[in-house]
Amino acid sequence: MDGNRTRESPDAWHMTDDLHAEQGKGDPFAAAIRATRMSMIITDPRKPDNPIVFANDSFLRLTGYARDEIIGRNCRFLQGPETDAEAVAEVRAAVADGTDISIDLLNYRKDGSTFWNALYLSPVSNDKGELLFFFASQLDVSDRKLSERRIAADKERFEEAVKERTRELEAALETQTALLHEVDHRVKNNLQMISSLILMQSRTISDEAVKNSLTTMLERIEALSTVHRRLYQSKDVSKFDVSDFARDLVSDLLAASGRSQISSKLDLEPIVVPADKATPVALIVNELVTNALKHAFRDETMPGSIGVKMSQPDGHLIIEVSDDGAGMDGNAGDGTFGMRLIRQLGRQLHADVEWRNTSPGTQVVIKMPNGPQHEGDAP
Amino acid sequence: MSEPLKVLIVEDEALLAMELESLIEEAGHRVVGWAMSSDEAKTMVDASAADIAFVDIHLSDGPTGLDVAEHIRRSGQPMVVFMTANPKRIPENFAGAVGVISKPYTMNGLMSALRYLQEGVRRPPPSSALPTGFTLSPAFATVWAPA
Repeated sequence: MDGNRTRESPDAWHMTDDLHAEQGKGDPFAAAIRATRMSMIITDPRKPDNPIVFANDSFLRLTGYARDEIIGRNCRFLQGPETDAEAVAEVRAAVADGTDISIDLLNYRKDGSTFWNALYLSPVSNDKGELLFFFASQLDVSDRKLSERRIAADKERFEEAVKERTRELEAALETQTALLHEVDHRVKNNLQMISSLILMQSRTISDEAVKNSLTTMLERIEALSTVHRRLYQSKDVSKFDVSDFARDLVSDLLAASGRSQISSKLDLEPIVVPADKATPVALIVNELVTNALKHAFRDETMPGSIGVKMSQPDGHLIIEVSDDGAGMDGNAGDGTFGMRLIRQLGRQLHADVEWRNTSPGTQVVIKMPNGPQHEGDAP
Repeated sequence: MSEPLKVLIVEDEALLAMELESLIEEAGHRVVGWAMSSDEAKTMVDASAADIAFVDIHLSDGPTGLDVAEHIRRSGQPMVVFMTANPKRIPENFAGAVGVISKPYTMNGLMSALRYLQEGVRRPPPSSALPTGFTLSPAFATVWAPA
């Protein structure tokens, strides 16, 4: 059969290719290759410079050459200035190694126009393994390449736009952060100045009552300062740790009082409140602790103890400040400014405030709603 | 009571420096100088034999408090304690400083800090607890407040 002959006597191809030899005329495979819409060529690596020995009509239509212009030539005439040298080198290596290759190449027609060629090249050997031909098919994939490039270009444009926007947002954030730091810095400095002014004024005053009044005022402002300092030192400026605040406040006030015979009993669960509640809660705690220190233990030699307990059962924050000192009767009455401060701030926090005479001493219990605690806040 | 401290104040806000001076002297220590800029501070450091320098980061010639600390580190004395409203500006190594007192500090906090520093200078390590509002540098924390 002709097919067999083709394989055993490859020259038959050669004959059919360009010479329209008699043997090839009746070969259905040769006829199919001639007539297919797929562009195909065969080259002969045994001849000098591996020339084209067969090209079908599709190849001629695709490249614009006449058959007699290309038969006998190496197919590198398809390359041009824009053809990727690396891709060409790959093809060359495949030819040298006698292996097959599938690769996209930018090729040039006779008229100089370009097309993307999805080249498939494969060696044809005889039964003895001797390389006889290379068979190559060319598929015009210009459309696919074009859309690939468009997609790539779109992607690049899009990525560039995203990068640009990200840069803008980062710059905006940087400005915001710098502004926040500047404002924070000024607030802190101003608070420090207010404290300094009060202290300086207080030094010039000899009247004990006025001096005490200024000291109380200083303590309140310092409570505010401490809230601000702690809030902006923490990672999350939206939450305030009231237990830490209370712990520091008590040790600070006790150390300053120089009353070593007064001890503190702290029972503090870690509790955070939202930042907007930080100031009123801190002021209340400050008021209760300073009150206890000043009024409950007026006898400077008496031993005593101050207890602060904070807990948070079922969505509530409970603050208990107790002392075993002089008791309520000895305290300043209901009408003092400190008391009013506690009541008013309590109202703002929707808190229940309860004074209990525990004789000896006083216990004040503040119970306020404090939304569900978030994960990680609880011990 | 051990020997009082000689303190150098490096602070560009007159009001804060004035009040700080009063508090330091009330606590029985002595203020040996007040500098508002980094140049003034460096000159005073070299001229005075201060034990402690309270250094604000932001001075009249910019955020140069760190330069002052570096200068003091090279000259070997005194011990530096930063006093700043912006402690996040302090580098990891604290430029060799003992630590930082964050503004706004309280009067009591400052008094405790002075007591603590006096112990640290005269009889290290300090025996008092670390005062609230005072943060030790990592280097001093390992020596003065080992975990």
